[in-house]
Amino acid sequence: MTKRNIITWGVLMILTVIAGLVSSASIPFLIPIILLLACLKIMGVTFSFMEMRKANPFWKVLIVGYLILFCGITLIALGMG
Amino acid sequence: MGERREIKPSCFDEIGRMNQQIEYKNVFYPPGGLLLWMIIALELTTFGIALLVMLFFAKEDPVLFHESRLQLNVTIGTINTVLLLTSGFFMANTVHELRQNNRSKAQRYLLLTMLFGLLFLVLKVIEYAAKIEAGLVMDTNDFFGFYWMLTFFHVIHVIVGLVILSTVLWGIRKANQPLKMEHVEGSAAFWHMCDLIWLLLFPVIYLIL
Repeated sequence: MTKRNIITWGVLMILTVIAGLVSSASIPFLIPIILLLACLKIMGVTFSFMEMRKANPFWKVLIVGYLILFCGITLIALGMG
Repeated sequence: MGERREIKPSCFDEIGRMNQQIEYKNVFYPPGGLLLWMIIALELTTFGIALLVMLFFAKEDPVLFHESRLQLNVTIGTINTVLLLTSGFFMANTVHELRQNNRSKAQRYLLLTMLFGLLFLVLKVIEYAAKIEAGLVMDTNDFFGFYWMLTFFHVIHVIVGLVILSTVLWGIRKANQPLKMEHVEGSAAFWHMCDLIWLLLFPVIYLIL
């Protein structure tokens, strides 16, 4: 068990609980916040658990680019773009 | 002529060699393997497009999609996220322990990985049963059509992932069987892909519509 994995898991748990809690709250920028939390979790899994931090920059750009594209289109589709 | 000694295959030697050989900075050797990452890219694109199509349908009838979304259980969805992420945590530790030539710890972590994956499926079955009982099936409306199609397709990925992890477990248990780290990492990447798909589905289907 590595320290990095333990810290990543802890952060992922906190982000999941925050996403669950804020989803029922009526706060401004709720949808962008939820999407941001999801992106942070996906980056935690890919870069830490899947070790993509060790990969060629091509793969890192591809992952981050995918997330930006997905969130961007989602916000446009919801009329927030 | 000296006596020839037969060298028994050792998974640990094999793992050690594999670790030294893989150069992750090479664009063709991402952790988990190029083929797996091509599959991951394809899967994330497919699920991503399906979710975006769902959002454009929601734009046509926002009230229906919002009211339907409110009938989903966010608590179950959140617990399912915790279960899958915890399973992924143990999977990452399984890979780490195998690299350290520690088979018994790796086996324990892999069993925990599979246990949390199974718990995810159990909770999913409970959620599906409640939906069917409430009459919220695939042809109820467009929202539930997308809900059933996307979440069930993800469940199939989790089941396939568990079958793949069973073969890894079988390999770890057979002490005299050579075990290639490349295969373990590929299996781990597939399992983590199930996390990634869920992390896309959960906010869109359960939280934001």
